[in-house]
Amino acid sequence: MKKRRKKTHRAVPPFDLTPMIDVVLQLIIFFLFTSQFGELVRTEIDLPEEPGETTPTEEGPDLTIDIDASGNYLIASEVMTLTEVEALARAEIAAVGEAVSVEVLIRPDRNIPARHLNELTQSLAGLGIRQASIGTVAPAVPRTSGGGG
Amino acid sequence: MRIPSGRPKRLGALPMTSMIDVVFLLLIFFLVTSNFAAPENRVDTALRAEGRATQAEELQPQIVEVRLSPSGNAVFTLGENTVGSREALAQLLRQLPPEGGVIVRGSDSVPVQAVADAMQAAIDAGFDRRSYSPGSP
Repeated sequence: MKKRRKKTHRAVPPFDLTPMIDVVLQLIIFFLFTSQFGELVRTEIDLPEEPGETTPTEEGPDLTIDIDASGNYLIASEVMTLTEVEALARAEIAAVGEAVSVEVLIRPDRNIPARHLNELTQSLAGLGIRQASIGTVAPAVPRTSGGGG
Repeated sequence: MRIPSGRPKRLGALPMTSMIDVVFLLLIFFLVTSNFAAPENRVDTALRAEGRATQAEELQPQIVEVRLSPSGNAVFTLGENTVGSREALAQLLRQLPPEGGVIVRGSDSVPVQAVADAMQAAIDAGFDRRSYSPGSP
């Protein structure tokens, strides 16, 4: 006689949470790191020392242009001529749709002559960009005298 | 009534491996999320093409000229007054109506810090409408 096989209930292995938590945390760190990367490529610039606006905007600019101590224009840490900056600004205008909506952040070195800033703002204004922000850094010790010269 | 036995329950060994895992992950998390760079602020301004008004203005804007004095220091000229510091410029601007806005004209030779000083003085004086335009070379 054939022995009837007893039906056995297969035990479901307990769901191990530890590796899942590990992976989830790793993914969170990965996304946090990659989202912060844009900030990390910020070029080191000796910005003007000002408290700036009381309510700084949270949104990032469409275009960030640095002007270093030698008067070079830099976008994403790459030295560019004014013509190349204009070309990139035109591309940004095309991407945004209209020049007046393009937000530009200018991060100039505090000691360079304003000639570099003037040339850049004239070029941007010529392209139709009407709004810009100048990057500043809060002074470590509040200054009592201005003038900067 | 059930009387608890006097023998303490034996605790399992603390799993060190998982704890170290979590501690390291938290360490990396805080290292990545903390911002080591100095926080940056902004001074917002409208851009004006040289010698050209961007829009019809009903109210006359105040014009601040930033230029170098013969002694080589940056000075701010507002109407008839010339001052040498940001605070003094803000003081002058506070006496004027802010509705018309302010135009800062930076001469080519002044340092950018002086231009930022003039902008900051306008902010401190309550001028919400600020424009920047190149001044005389």
